[in-house]
Amino acid sequence: MPPEALPAREQLLDLVLIQFSNLRWAWTSMVLTGVLMPVLMTLSFGAMADRGSDDVTAVLCGSVVLSLMFQNQNNVASNFAYMKAMGTLDFLATLPVRRHLLVVATVAAFFALSLPSVVVTAALGALVLGVPLSLSPWAVLVLPLCALPLAGIGAIVGITARTPEAAGSVSVLVSLVLVFLGPVLIPASRLPGWVLATSHLSPATYAASAVRQVLAGPVTARLALDLAVLAGVCALSLWWVGARLPWRQG
Amino acid sequence: MTPAYSVEDLVLTYPGQDRPAVDAVSFTIAEGEVFGLLGDNGAGKSTVVRQLVTLLRPTSGRVALFGVDVATDPGLVSRKVGYMPQSSAALNRLTAAESVYFAAHLRGLSRRDARRERDELLGLWGVDEVAGRSSARLSGGQRRLLQLAVAMAGRRPVLILDEPTNDLDPVRRKHVWSVLRQRNAELGTTIVLVTHDAVEAEKAIQRVGILRRGRFTAIGTPAELRRGIEGSLRVELAFPPGDPPALPAGVTPREAGEGRWLLLLDHADAGALVARLDPATTDIRLSSTTLEDLYLHYAA
Repeated sequence: MPPEALPAREQLLDLVLIQFSNLRWAWTSMVLTGVLMPVLMTLSFGAMADRGSDDVTAVLCGSVVLSLMFQNQNNVASNFAYMKAMGTLDFLATLPVRRHLLVVATVAAFFALSLPSVVVTAALGALVLGVPLSLSPWAVLVLPLCALPLAGIGAIVGITARTPEAAGSVSVLVSLVLVFLGPVLIPASRLPGWVLATSHLSPATYAASAVRQVLAGPVTARLALDLAVLAGVCALSLWWVGARLPWRQG
Repeated sequence: MTPAYSVEDLVLTYPGQDRPAVDAVSFTIAEGEVFGLLGDNGAGKSTVVRQLVTLLRPTSGRVALFGVDVATDPGLVSRKVGYMPQSSAALNRLTAAESVYFAAHLRGLSRRDARRERDELLGLWGVDEVAGRSSARLSGGQRRLLQLAVAMAGRRPVLILDEPTNDLDPVRRKHVWSVLRQRNAELGTTIVLVTHDAVEAEKAIQRVGILRRGRFTAIGTPAELRRGIEGSLRVELAFPPGDPPALPAGVTPREAGEGRWLLLLDHADAGALVARLDPATTDIRLSSTTLEDLYLHYAA
């Protein structure tokens, strides 16, 4: 008689492998578009900024945030909406699998898929815009913490939207609002006061600040606040999506 | 003995609907039994099944699996039941081999045993030749067979199969019923089948519930259901088109094609019909009423 369920770590490993296996058929195009969008943003916004100024650093770091946060959010939203529409969520719910592990596995798989985009954007941006990179070891913590909160929001969008198409539209809308309502691509000094005031509510603001510190330096005490906010939003969004995921009903 | 499933007064009303999709349904399924849920499209079959596997929460009523209320332990179903959903796209884009392997491993088999079971089940269902192909690229029939393999992975004591023979050709349908009968006989697996294919299902089903508009109109063994209708003999008559034979008073035939009638008669009426059979009748066949006859009678 086989055991009835696997330990959590083995469940997680299987779920990550399942997601990677699903992604293998489309990973090249996903990586390519994931790289192109932030690189084009870097080049186009960078062309309008003065070389050697804080503006180009903001453009470069903002583009890295785009790779990490919004690409993940949109991909995760589409994936959950697709799994819901196709009955995959129902099928997985009938296996002895914890729902939170499915969320973490999905987000982790898409995070891994976004890393090439981060590396290419940072390297190419530094080369073309002449931004001196000063990579901090804190990047190991900052990069996943930037990706996870919005991936969680993407998952919420995916499971609550009626169709995959609706999920895609809502997710893009959320991305646009969060990118332009804060100092993500555009430095804080160039934003109007009301945008700066509202930007404190956006996780993208804290992500941009954290990325700026760990990629271009210097790392300051502000990083602790950024990480705390990102960790808080991450925990909240992942808990929320886990609780809202259509799953076995008690 | 504790039944595999015990369902009491199950009611489910979807939000915004006045009429319940499932209305006060009660039944038990004995351990080791093959139970069929029959009904027209929209009769509530899948809604009942989705409550059995806790994908839907009943508006009221109780579902117990091996004596335990599934509402108090929703994980119980995942540990005891292999479920095959109606949607054949549920496996996403995993290959056939990965689909079975991951299901077996997540259901608690060691990686080695999961690989062994994967190979056995792919062979059993005849999809081993497409083991490395994405399930999204399989034909409808191959995907259905793969879903059966996935549902069986992990050797659960209960199998719930929603429309297992959809998309399958007659040869493969026959194979499905044969494998399910064998599984039930050899391992004592309790099997719940949702189908509207009464002709095929008769080969495997031991007891049946016929649903109509969310309620059971009949439930029991085919023999018990036969006793509940007037005619227990099925008579098929063939005659020259436009020249039908005379029938006993009060008997209404069902058209079964041009120049063909299907009658459900009791023994006396069947005897009388045969005794004064019109010479123009070109063919007559007598048999017991089939599950399809019962289905058509009770679902009407």
